[in-house]
Amino acid sequence: MKKQLAFYIDAKRCIGCFTCAMACKNQYHQESGVIWRDVYELKEEIYPHRERAFYSLACNHCENPTCLNVCPVVAYYKREADGVVVHEQDKCIGCGNCIRSCPYGAPRYNPVLKRAEKCSFCWQRLDDDRKPACVLSCPTEALQIVDLAEFDEANAVQYPAGFPRYPSLNPSVRFRLPAMPKMIRRKL
Amino acid sequence: MDKRDAESVKQAIGCPMSRRKFLRCLAAAGALAAMPGGLLRSFDAKAGKIIYEGDYEIYRNACPRNCYDTCSIKSYVKDGVLQFIEGAKESTFTDGGLCVKGYAYTRRPYSPDRIKYPMIQDGRGSGNWRRISWDEAMDMIAKKLVEINDKDDSMLGLGLTKYSGNFGITNYAVEGMMTSLGYTTRLVGTPCWPAGIDAQNYDLGDMWCNDPEDMVNSRYIILWGANPAWNSVHTMKYIYAAQDRGAKVVCIDPVFTQTAAKADVYWQVDTSMDGALALGMARHILDKGLFDKAWVEENSVGFNEFADYLRNEITVQWASEKSGIPQQQIVEVAEEFAAAKPATIWIGYGLQRHVNGGATVRSIDALAAMTGNVGKTGGGARYGHMRTWGFNYHALLQKRPEGAKGFLGGKGPKGDFDFSGDEEAEYTDRALNINKTAEMLLTADDPPIRVLWISCKNVLSQDFDRPRMLEAFKKPELIVSVEQFFTQTVELSDIVLPVTTLFEESTINASYWHYWLSVNEQGIKPMYEAKSNTEIAAALSARMNKLKPGSCTFPTEVDTRQWMIKEFNQDIYDLFGIDSWQDLKKGPAKAKMHPASWHDLEFGTPSKKYEFRSDLCAQHGHQALPKFKAARKPYDKLRLLTPHTKFGIHSQFINIDWMEEFNKKPYCYLHPTAASERGITDGDQVRVFNKVGEVELEVKLTQNVPADVVMMYEAWFRNNAYNCQNVVDDTSSDMGKYKTGAPGVAIHDQFADVEKV
Repeated sequence: MKKQLAFYIDAKRCIGCFTCAMACKNQYHQESGVIWRDVYELKEEIYPHRERAFYSLACNHCENPTCLNVCPVVAYYKREADGVVVHEQDKCIGCGNCIRSCPYGAPRYNPVLKRAEKCSFCWQRLDDDRKPACVLSCPTEALQIVDLAEFDEANAVQYPAGFPRYPSLNPSVRFRLPAMPKMIRRKL
Repeated sequence: MDKRDAESVKQAIGCPMSRRKFLRCLAAAGALAAMPGGLLRSFDAKAGKIIYEGDYEIYRNACPRNCYDTCSIKSYVKDGVLQFIEGAKESTFTDGGLCVKGYAYTRRPYSPDRIKYPMIQDGRGSGNWRRISWDEAMDMIAKKLVEINDKDDSMLGLGLTKYSGNFGITNYAVEGMMTSLGYTTRLVGTPCWPAGIDAQNYDLGDMWCNDPEDMVNSRYIILWGANPAWNSVHTMKYIYAAQDRGAKVVCIDPVFTQTAAKADVYWQVDTSMDGALALGMARHILDKGLFDKAWVEENSVGFNEFADYLRNEITVQWASEKSGIPQQQIVEVAEEFAAAKPATIWIGYGLQRHVNGGATVRSIDALAAMTGNVGKTGGGARYGHMRTWGFNYHALLQKRPEGAKGFLGGKGPKGDFDFSGDEEAEYTDRALNINKTAEMLLTADDPPIRVLWISCKNVLSQDFDRPRMLEAFKKPELIVSVEQFFTQTVELSDIVLPVTTLFEESTINASYWHYWLSVNEQGIKPMYEAKSNTEIAAALSARMNKLKPGSCTFPTEVDTRQWMIKEFNQDIYDLFGIDSWQDLKKGPAKAKMHPASWHDLEFGTPSKKYEFRSDLCAQHGHQALPKFKAARKPYDKLRLLTPHTKFGIHSQFINIDWMEEFNKKPYCYLHPTAASERGITDGDQVRVFNKVGEVELEVKLTQNVPADVVMMYEAWFRNNAYNCQNVVDDTSSDMGKYKTGAPGVAIHDQFADVEKV
């Protein structure tokens, strides 16, 4: 298998602190309302305690990216070397095809430039031998980069509850499920 | 204040109208035309290669907020504009990271909401602000100070309230400025950790904690009333590392916190009954003979008396009834804790914010000590420390003007971060309890507080009994706020002076948790007309001396970098193994201290031993032994908790537009049972009310809170009048006066009810 970088989201370690999401803002200063990485709280049907378990999500840099496939002006390309899906904003005409077609909601509309944009996997940082801003920032190493060509983690799942299943896209992201403590509640 | 004034105050605090007026006024002054957001351009997504090293000027900064982590920052500046920041990878504690608040810093100096110029409000609370020059502002303030000095024959009519909005060492220039003017009135104490500080001083002789990085060595960790997943994110990885190595983590908290969700065992203790729980565990450990007999004989005093107390008055059954934790659980965890070597307890600041808070901390200390876990790596009753704060406090130590008169008798003020060791003098400053600011402002007389100076603090969002504070803020003749943003405190000030952010000044920062020291370099020029607290003191001194020579001893010219340098001394260099402060430009340095506090078992108590029985504690009016102390009687149906949010440090950061992307508005949290009893459903707008006041906000239903609790977070939003201090009174906790000058406040001994609106 070719090298394919992916985000590994260890929900067991994730503390939902939003540091990754803010680190992205700090690096790219997106326009107000434009978010490349966000932290999603799991519904109580998935984790029974509200606001206590999360998935940090951005672009999944899919093996077969729909954004790339639907773009009429070839503003997207997938890097051979590491599988990162790059959006070239200067080519973008803002038609919104990518935004409408991505089932993971990764591409966002920049209302000022009237063009799309999305998580770049910090490819400029990767090329400079640096971790992506979000990965570097994570205080608990709950967000990591892995190479799927050699990733071999028994606890990892690709489609945990709450994360949409699109095998045709084959999103480059893996998860570890959150855990729960033994709870001793007092009686009232 | 007549009815019209009262109306305008109400309007000012009740709706964001005055803030909009304030912004309109800024626009009229030409401020918005030069929107600073424009300086901070977004990176072009199309951009080619970005050169990270070599293309930026890189500066060292440090987060000066009141936080365990005191992160060391590397800031990247290009064309005079701060472009982005990262954590300093040299610090093993933060390991190259910051937190959600830290990463929002890049936006802070350029926030369109920053206060850009000195401004004056015509009619306090009216919202009628207009721009003035620094000269005009200093002239008005100086004239007023000369006037009150002439009237009272002292400067005691000048009151200062300052706390933890900026812990940069040079920011003690604010206190220095007060001293330079004469003997003044200081609001002293701390709303944060005083009861626990006193408790640890009685037991151990000082507050001193193990290196948090050493927590990996623990075989058993009890996180007691601490929520590091929100308030010390970088400590979490050491807890995880210990867990990965087989340590068990027990979290004890009334609320199922984010930290609790990561523990192995979570105990939902009844609020303020932590002391009973600790004593129940101690009794069981005693009965089973699992205490460290050799350790207590060698290193402590009063253990036999403590053991007698446990045998006579404490049972596991009693502890279970008090705390709500089943007996079998208490027994199990007590035995595991006593058997695990080493085991540690992290005592959070929440559980001492009670009328029995100091007594609670003492009983938890006792649990760590009797099991021989004090003085060991991987052990310790961890609370905080001030061992790396030995700076010169040059900014603080100013001379009084000749002939200055002050308060006769009594003792001068000292806060928890005061190292000045005030000498004996004929006169002193007047010390008032910071935790009862409203009452102090209303009742202080002869002279009253005529001028109130506020810096590093958002009084109207952080201090207690806010309805009364609104009354109190009518009393001073002049209120001056030094601020970065248009807070609720600024709304009720007469003059606001714009102050620099950490990127615009030089200072130094130490932590009260980890052992690292960081320098803070000025990386960008102050935005607009912002000045540092040191520069403001100098400007005021210049004007005072022009008006009345000799009336202020503070230097009239300062350079924040030079003042930062003046804070260093040989002891600091030796402690951190550096030859010069400039070494810190290469990265933060870690204190050359043993990772275990009290490792030499030389305690700071009068007996030089660990004191289960503290006669000093008894002399100060408390119990000599760490006995159980009763809780505050409920005065309403539900317990009200107002802890920290993960999106802010007290009232800071929540107002930044970048933070608003992720945290748009406040909520209160209610158990489904409490909600259904009141006909409340998820998402309803509710009113939280009690004898103090009321707050309206949206409710979220969750079993994370017990059924007898309503919880909401402390916060200040820029476009929302929400304020939890409307329903929190200023009842004192038991301890705090000994070391911080005033008792703490029982923030979590509050009660309220909720109804649908």
